[in-house]
Amino acid sequence: MFKTYPQQAVDVERVRVVSDDVDTVVGPSVKVEGDFASEGNIVVKGTVTGSVKTSKMLTVENGAKIFANVRAENAVVSGAIKGNVKVVERLELTETAQISGDIDCKILSVAPGALILGKVVMKGISLPDDSERSEKKKLFGKIKSEDADELTAE
Amino acid sequence: MYVYLYDNFLREKKYDAIIKAMETRLTDFGIAGKIIRLQNFTDAQAIVEDEIKRGATTVVIVGDDETFGHVLSRAATCEVLFGFLPVGSDNSIADVLGIPVGVEACNTLSRRRKVKLDVGWFNNRYFVSRLHIPPSKITVEYDEKFQVSAQDKMELIVCNLRPYEWLSVGKKETYTIHPQDGKLEAFLRPISREGWLRRQVFEEPSVFPFEEMIVSSKSPFVVEADGKQSKEIKIKIKLARKRIEMVVGKERRF
Repeated sequence: MFKTYPQQAVDVERVRVVSDDVDTVVGPSVKVEGDFASEGNIVVKGTVTGSVKTSKMLTVENGAKIFANVRAENAVVSGAIKGNVKVVERLELTETAQISGDIDCKILSVAPGALILGKVVMKGISLPDDSERSEKKKLFGKIKSEDADELTAE
Repeated sequence: MYVYLYDNFLREKKYDAIIKAMETRLTDFGIAGKIIRLQNFTDAQAIVEDEIKRGATTVVIVGDDETFGHVLSRAATCEVLFGFLPVGSDNSIADVLGIPVGVEACNTLSRRRKVKLDVGWFNNRYFVSRLHIPPSKITVEYDEKFQVSAQDKMELIVCNLRPYEWLSVGKKETYTIHPQDGKLEAFLRPISREGWLRRQVFEEPSVFPFEEMIVSSKSPFVVEADGKQSKEIKIKIKLARKRIEMVVGKERRF
């Protein structure tokens, strides 16, 4: 009539929910001071001083202020950052974004109205620099003079 | 050997029928055992330790969220398998653990699906569901790395198993927590202003997952953990990993 279940305890091995999925949210009037780091996404609506680091997405909302160096995998900035910004993949600046510091990223998207005061460094550029061009000019000049010599010799 | 800890409120007549049905079901499964009725000032840890010495292998809590927190906050140090049979209306933890309320919980208990749960710890006490600090002028330091403060008072809630519902004017907001993810979740709500009739108006909450946190203040503040209140000036909140071994259900949320 009733099902009998085995009396031996069953150990269930479960994969832990990875803490990467948890968002850290800094509210509008909250102030964070120190090395602010998280393994998951970070959303900043208040003020952060010190340093900000995440291996996932950083979102800085309009009205938020960060006085720190920032490091993230991806970032969307609508607030103000005073510090260097290093983003591994994509950095998006909306029209209310203000960055006073150097930017280092792979992909940069800047909306009209965004303000940047600093150096922008993006890897992957393939234009030759001045030293290479002058070497090529010298070589070209040398080839031209050799041809001229041959012609006069003939 | 099974030992059942019954909460005091189960003496009420309205629970007679369900308790009888549960006891019959447990007998049919062959897992009926000794019944101990908890009183208001009963020391659950002492009872559990006594029963372990007498040969108890499984201690089953019969009651609601308050019973669950009351027993486990004290008996978390005991090395025994715990079970839970939720009875009554105030049972949100059972849902997280995947244990149905009522007679069906006996089926879950008989299956003995064991899991080790993380619990919170503060000032030499464990808390299983959540810890609450009402609005006070507090400073919070996380993982010895950064500090969080606000201009005025802040309310702090640390959730382990039980999610919290914020009652803001006009709407009820529920924030999802992730139980057993190796971190505790702290929700901080600063007061923005005092509205009509001294009603406190809160700002949007901040969420911080953490493993260790120190909450301090210049004046004593109230701390409520699993139904027990105390006044402190400084508390350290930590995560105790895999502290409690528990029988859970298939529909658990972790």
